[in-house]
Amino acid sequence: MSTTSTNIPLRADAPAPTVLVVEDEVLIRLVIADYLRECGYKVHEAVSGEEAIAILQAPEVSIDVVFSDVEMPGDMDGFALARWVRANKPGLQVILTSGAERSADIAATLCEAGPLMKKPYASQDVVDRIRQLAARAKRS
Amino acid sequence: MNAASVTVLPRRTPPSILVVENDVRIRCLVSDELRASDFKVLEASHAEDALTVLDAVRIDLLFIALDPSGEQSGLEVARLVRMRRMPTRVILAIGDGMLAKAAAEDFGLILSKPYQTSDIVELVIRTLNWPEAPA
Repeated sequence: MSTTSTNIPLRADAPAPTVLVVEDEVLIRLVIADYLRECGYKVHEAVSGEEAIAILQAPEVSIDVVFSDVEMPGDMDGFALARWVRANKPGLQVILTSGAERSADIAATLCEAGPLMKKPYASQDVVDRIRQLAARAKRS
Repeated sequence: MNAASVTVLPRRTPPSILVVENDVRIRCLVSDELRASDFKVLEASHAEDALTVLDAVRIDLLFIALDPSGEQSGLEVARLVRMRRMPTRVILAIGDGMLAKAAAEDFGLILSKPYQTSDIVELVIRTLNWPEAPA
């Protein structure tokens, strides 16, 4: 079993989930992506909903969990991305995060794991949420 | 202390590389290849984000793929690195016939588009001398 500097064990015999981090604020994206990699996850990064879809449609890439900001530039915000995922990649887990006071009800209808994570979030809370989703996906 | 008593310790942390590429699939591919070679890789989609990262994080090598529509901004980032005398090596990926080619040659190593990801990994390894050869 491998462990990380933050004592978050990932089973060595199970492939680590691949996470797509969608966040337009570059420094926020770097911090959470770096943290997830240190925890043993494979991470891809996108700066917008459009980039996220380009990655999700790439045949060479397999994503297990999407972790996306809600407020993003361009035509597609996090809610629209979650709707796209639900329509085109059923079974793919989505976690939404937002710094604005938005309706948690909308997120609840789009994310299996419940309402959106409010910014600022603790990186460890993101990992906990991903682990919950991965465990749920494994059971189903 | 004389020279004979100096012990050269191997560098412990891998060099950090900032990959600036506006095509997300290429950026993803290049970054993955570099991470597979044990580099610490940060990603930016455009010049503005690259500048934000350069202001916040020590970067050992900057890899900028110049976009034909926005090549000037990429060159501006390279110019800034030089102007600030940052300890950052620069590799520029340039398309054939780009107007900026001549200017780019002043700023660092050039990689011609299209390139293989193995080319960039090899060039980065050579440029950074990583992993360092044992003393």
